[in-house]
Amino acid sequence: MLKRSTGEKVFNVFNLIGFFVFTCLMLLPIVFVLKQSLDIAIAGTLNISLIPKSPSLVFYKMVITEESVYRPFLNSVYITIVGTSSSILVNAIGAYTLSKRELAGNKFMIYFLVIIPMLFGGGLIPTYLLMRALGFIDRFAALIVPGMASGWYMILIRNYYWSIPNSLAESARIDGAEEFTVFFRIILPLAKPVLSAIALFAGVGFWNTFMSAIIYMRDPKKYTFPVKLREMILLQNDNDQQRMEDMLQSMGLDPNKFFLTAEGLSAAMMIISMIPIILVYPYLQKHFAAGIMVGSIKG
Amino acid sequence: MDTATTVKRYHKNQKKILTKTNIMLYLMITVPLLLYYVFKYIPMPGVIIAFQQYSLAGFKYWVGTNNFKAIFSTYFFWEAFRNNWVFVGFGYFFVTPSPIIFALLINEIRVRWYKKTVQTISTLPNFVTWVVIGGLFIQLLSPSTGYINLLIRFFGGTPIFFMSRAALFPWLFTFMRIWKGVGYGAIIYLAALSGIDPQLYEAAVIDGANKLRQVWHITLPGIRNTILVLIVLSFSHVLKGFFEPIFVLKNPMNRSRSEILDTYIYTIGILQGKFNIATAVGLFKSLISMFLLFFANFLSKRFTEDGRSIL
Repeated sequence: MLKRSTGEKVFNVFNLIGFFVFTCLMLLPIVFVLKQSLDIAIAGTLNISLIPKSPSLVFYKMVITEESVYRPFLNSVYITIVGTSSSILVNAIGAYTLSKRELAGNKFMIYFLVIIPMLFGGGLIPTYLLMRALGFIDRFAALIVPGMASGWYMILIRNYYWSIPNSLAESARIDGAEEFTVFFRIILPLAKPVLSAIALFAGVGFWNTFMSAIIYMRDPKKYTFPVKLREMILLQNDNDQQRMEDMLQSMGLDPNKFFLTAEGLSAAMMIISMIPIILVYPYLQKHFAAGIMVGSIKG
Repeated sequence: MDTATTVKRYHKNQKKILTKTNIMLYLMITVPLLLYYVFKYIPMPGVIIAFQQYSLAGFKYWVGTNNFKAIFSTYFFWEAFRNNWVFVGFGYFFVTPSPIIFALLINEIRVRWYKKTVQTISTLPNFVTWVVIGGLFIQLLSPSTGYINLLIRFFGGTPIFFMSRAALFPWLFTFMRIWKGVGYGAIIYLAALSGIDPQLYEAAVIDGANKLRQVWHITLPGIRNTILVLIVLSFSHVLKGFFEPIFVLKNPMNRSRSEILDTYIYTIGILQGKFNIATAVGLFKSLISMFLLFFANFLSKRFTEDGRSIL
C-alpha cells in the first residue's frame, strides 16, 4: 500500500466526518417522522429532542382500526401480490419467445414492444378514455393489467436466457421434449436469479402504485395506500381533529393537555409504507445492477 | 434416429414459420403483444382529439389547430412549461453531479463497514415512493410541528412556512431529488471507479502527483465515458418522472412555481374535463420528448465508444 501524506490524512478525517454529517442528514427526515408517529405531543412545549416524550402506539392502532386507512393498505397488498406474480409469469414466458433470434418476426416484436412505445404514446387523456371505455374506472384491473407486460423486463430476462448454455435445452430436445417442456422444466428453473430480481423491482413498483390510482380510482374504498397517504398529508380536516379528540378521551387523556395531530397519523402511515421496502431491501441490494440497467434506459 | 439429425432438423425447422415449435413460441408471446396492442397502441390515434372539439359527451366537430392556439395563449400553460424546464435545468446543474461527487468522495473511505453503512442508508430512499418522500419533507418543514422550524424557534427565530414560499420551491424540490437519488445514482459510478487500474495511481504517485492531480488525470478520465453515456441517455426522458413528486408537493401557495405540464394536463383534463385542450398539451409535450429522444440517439451514436444506438 502507498504511504499517505499529511494532507491526505487530514482530508481523510474530514471526509469521514463529512460523511457522518451526510448520513445524519439522510436519516433526519425518517427519524423525525418516526418520532412523530410514536409521540403524543404535549401542547405548547418546545421540544427539540428526537426521542418521543410520551410514547404511544395510538397512531398505529388507528391505522389498524380505521377502515378508511386499513382498506387502502389491504388494496395495496392485493395489487402488489397479484400484479407481481402475474407480471413475472407473463414476462418470463414472453421473454422465451424473444430469446429465439431466428424466429420469424423477432425483430418486429422488439420494435412493437420496446422501440415504438418509447417514441409514441397516446398520453394521459386518450389512455384515460380507453380505460373508461373498458369499464376499468374503480377497478383494480386498471392498476394491474396495463403494467403486467413490460418490454424492458422481457429484454432483461431474455438476456439471461441467452446466458444459459444451449446444450441443456438441446439435450432435452433430443430426448423428445416439446418447447413448452423445455421452457418450464429446464429454462425457467435456471432463470430464478433474474426472475427474483424482476419480482423485487416489479413488487416495489406495484407497492408504490400512485399515479394510475389517482387517475382511475374515484371510490375511496379503492384507494391505494399512497393515495390515502397523500390525502392525509394534504387534507387535515376538522373531521379528523374531532376523531383525534374522541380517541384521546377514550384513552383517558385530557385533550387540553395532549393533542393528537393528523400529522401523527400520516407519519405512522409513512413508516408503515416504508416497512415492506426495508424488509426486501437486503435482497434488492443484490440486484442493483439489473435495476440500474432498466432504470437508465426506461427512466 | 441419431442425435445429429434431430438437432439438424430442429434448426432447419426454425427457418420455416409455422412449425409446431414455432406456433408454441408465438402462443407464448401472445399475452404481452395483446396487452401492448390494447394499452399502448389503441390510445395512440387518440391524439387526434387535440384537433377536435371534444367534451365529456365525446366528439363534436373538428377545430383544426384552434386548441393549440388556445393553449399557446394561456398564461398558465407557459407557466407550467417554464417550471418544467426550470426543474430540468436544476436537475442537470445540481442533481446530475451529486452522485458523481458522492462516488468520488466515498471511494476515498478505506473503512469498509463505514462505507457500506453510508451507502446502504443513502440508497434506500430511491425505492420509497415520492408520496412518502414528499410527506417526510412536508412534516420536517411544517411551520407548526416541523423539526426545522422547532430548531429555528428554539434558537429564537421566527418560523418559516417553507412549502408555501413559491420562490423557495425549486430549491427545496432539488434538495429532495438529491436526497432521494444520490446514493442509488452513485452505484454505477462506483462500479466504473473500481474498474480503474490501481497501477495507474501507483505510477502517478511515483511521478509525484498529489491526490488532486490523480483525480484530475486518472479518476475523472476513467469515469468520463460513464458520465457521458448517462447524460446522453437522460435526454430521452427529461420531461418524465415529475408528476408524482409535484402532485404531492404542490399546494395553492407554491403553485406558481410548482405546476408542471403533467399536472397541468391532469388538472384541465381529468378534473375539468377539457379533454381536447389537455390532449393538445400532451401532444405538444410528447413531440418535444420525441425530438429529444432522437437527439439523444444522435449524440449516443456520435459520442459513445462503440457508437451505440439507443433506439
